[in-house]
Amino acid sequence: MRTYILKRLLLIVPTLLGVAVIVFLIMRVIPGDVALMILGGDDGGQIDPQQVAAVRRQLGLDQPLIVQFGTWLWGVVRFDFGDSLWTGQPIVHELAIRLPLSLQLALMATFVSVLIAIPLGTLAAVRQDTWVDYVVRIGSIGGLAIPSFWIGILCILFLVIFFGWGPPLEFTPPWVDPWVNLQMMVWPVVTVGYRYAAVTTRMTRSTVLEVLREDYIRTAWAKGLRERAVVVRHALKNSMLPVITLIGTEFAFLIGGLVVTETVFTLNGIGRFVVEAVAHRDYPVVQALVFLIAFSFVMVNLLVDLTYAWFDPRIRYR
Amino acid sequence: MTGSRRQLTLRFVVALVLLTGVALMASLPTAQAAETPRRGGVLLAAIGADPPSLDPHQESTFANIQLVAPLYSTLLQMDPLDSSKIIGDAGTEWNTSPDGLTVTVKIRPGIKFHDGSTLTSADVKASYDKIVFPPQGVRSSRKAHYAAVAGIEAPDPSTVVFKLKHPSAAFVANLASPWNVIFPKKYLDKDPNHFKNQVVGSGPFKFKSYVRGSTFEGERNPDYFIKDRPYLDGYKFYISPETSVRAAALRSGRAHIEFRGLPQSEVDAIRKQLGDKITVQEAPTPGWWAVGFNNKVKPFDDVRVRKALTLAIDRHTMGKVLFPLTGLRDVGGLVRPGTQWAMSPAELEKLPGFGRDIERSREEAKKLLAEAGFPNGLKFTMINRNVKLPYQDFAVFFIQEWKKIGVEVENRPLETAAWFDAGRQTKNYEAIIDPHVDFMDEPDLTLADFLSNNPVQNWMNHSDPQLDDLYARQARALDPAERKKLVNGFERRVFEQAYFAHGLWWVRSIVHASKVKNWVAAPSHYSNQKLQDVWLSED
Repeated sequence: MRTYILKRLLLIVPTLLGVAVIVFLIMRVIPGDVALMILGGDDGGQIDPQQVAAVRRQLGLDQPLIVQFGTWLWGVVRFDFGDSLWTGQPIVHELAIRLPLSLQLALMATFVSVLIAIPLGTLAAVRQDTWVDYVVRIGSIGGLAIPSFWIGILCILFLVIFFGWGPPLEFTPPWVDPWVNLQMMVWPVVTVGYRYAAVTTRMTRSTVLEVLREDYIRTAWAKGLRERAVVVRHALKNSMLPVITLIGTEFAFLIGGLVVTETVFTLNGIGRFVVEAVAHRDYPVVQALVFLIAFSFVMVNLLVDLTYAWFDPRIRYR
Repeated sequence: MTGSRRQLTLRFVVALVLLTGVALMASLPTAQAAETPRRGGVLLAAIGADPPSLDPHQESTFANIQLVAPLYSTLLQMDPLDSSKIIGDAGTEWNTSPDGLTVTVKIRPGIKFHDGSTLTSADVKASYDKIVFPPQGVRSSRKAHYAAVAGIEAPDPSTVVFKLKHPSAAFVANLASPWNVIFPKKYLDKDPNHFKNQVVGSGPFKFKSYVRGSTFEGERNPDYFIKDRPYLDGYKFYISPETSVRAAALRSGRAHIEFRGLPQSEVDAIRKQLGDKITVQEAPTPGWWAVGFNNKVKPFDDVRVRKALTLAIDRHTMGKVLFPLTGLRDVGGLVRPGTQWAMSPAELEKLPGFGRDIERSREEAKKLLAEAGFPNGLKFTMINRNVKLPYQDFAVFFIQEWKKIGVEVENRPLETAAWFDAGRQTKNYEAIIDPHVDFMDEPDLTLADFLSNNPVQNWMNHSDPQLDDLYARQARALDPAERKKLVNGFERRVFEQAYFAHGLWWVRSIVHASKVKNWVAAPSHYSNQKLQDVWLSED
């Protein structure tokens, strides 16, 4: 087991290096110049070409690509992601502002969706083709079909138009004021959690249905076990492997992938940060964030793989 | 009626009149008191972006100036209640020598920076030196506006002298630029980039906090040099890039104001819901949207093609159609219609593309295209910015109009960086949506887009020595009548050559809670952001 974990951890290095090279190259290939963006602002204005050259020099963009990449990589090895080209602030500081919010949202949405999806998915499978199944299926298909940002906008408009109230515009950490934090977070959690729950419900339903047709389940019924024991102890546990894989991937996605939801709810999270950094051609920030997101995917996948053994004792790690 | 009854009635009427009079008298001071500035409160504003840095000398975005303007003084400023007037701020009086080559400004005594040090002419000189002659490694976004400056002197602590290479009609107005804030010299001496992340100003408010992507706060400066100002205890900006979120913040009362302006559809929805609890100010803005043709690329190197393309646009209808969608409304030349340097509507209508008879213009356009070798029309691609407002709707209107003369145009939206890159650097386009926004109505700023030696700003990619000469002459003309003639001559040349197809001038609709008092929307969303006179009523 220890050797397996060590092996997996070592494999992270080439994976992240590959990601770093690809992102570095893509960012350099796409058109756009951070120096022009900085000098020109958003509405044009007079720009001195010498100033553009000076800014490029100041930002180190006049160096050969290999030198730029090497400098950046050497910084990463020392856990120094550098400064944002756009703001001049250390990237670690910028991340420290945004990461807690993104993590809280991802954790809360995961918790809510798991809480809803696994019981509903199982119930729909057990009561297949009854009204319960139909209701769950309609609800989950709705969650998949409706974009979550749209539900978010509807939520806000509903609150504003009918109650003259809108969620707070500023993030308050839960340890400072849990009530204000909840007022802000509950809406994005509902919005994101609905889509997330829909995906998980569908997956739970289909895997439970599959397991319910297995021989050992028939045997369990034949032995006269109660429904709860058959479903929870035998069917549910054995159908969990694809479900937890999905939950893990979705969780990692939530850390950096909620751009529109974050925008709609004024959440200062990682997703918005990535998009703004790409728009500003803020190369080191994009590289650092993609690195972080890739790292969270790899780590979550490792954790998911490790939990397989708990659900299925036949799995052995070498 | 008996005598006593009549007397009684008379007494009753007299009493009633007196009572009414007393009531009216009592009510008058109350009504006036309601408009007496009230101290206290924090102004809550919504804003669409974070600034790259906090140094206004180095930035060109509303996201910078709206946040930090209340923290600083400038030498001169536009009158907060009437932006057409220039008044003093840190400077109290200013005069230009008869030869137009020396501008002297007297500094108000006793101004304190927020760190307690005194503001002197040395600080003004250091700040302007940084703008006009930026040291290596320091950018200056508006260096080009001060090309006429030969040197800056500070002969005594209360006097600053600008020596010019040639007379400049725009120079004094440029001293009122909201971007030219005064920094304390001692910090600039140590690090000219110090104010990218720090704030030490002498404005009505002091810096309180900034959380990137979330909030920016300032608090009242008790030592502000104008007694009893500011009225507010502070101000706080909430940063949200989504327009509908900022609109919802106004509707729910989470924000009092959005200074940049909202689309008309949001304005109407807010007005419908909140009625007189909100106020809408319309501000015709020194900014236009247009389509630039790449004059070095075929077929746009042919003036007949360019002229045909501008003749095909019905600008008068476009203003009516696009205003509710985008805020673009006014038809005008290169300087904002109705302002000092603008030509009259009658003069404008004589120029290609501005006439009222659109059918005649379209016929002329088709004729010109045929003469240029395109009797069946032509096809080209127009680069656009992938921002909905006003870019996409604006492009759609143009494309529809061009279709009517047989011209097929593909709208290609690019993300902002790629679009800027095409316009300012690579010139890799046939046509491009080309906006221009200034902080004031000043021909030097607006007309610079058409200069031959200004590739970053000239998106039309043309060279025209005649325009360069007219520009230089108008910039030096100190007599307003002569200058207006030259400016209008410049406009006529641009429109006759059809280097670009002009669109419309922007009119901002700024929504704020009616409790926000004494703030008048300036034409530009960069100006009148110091907030020293703004107050909040109790309602």
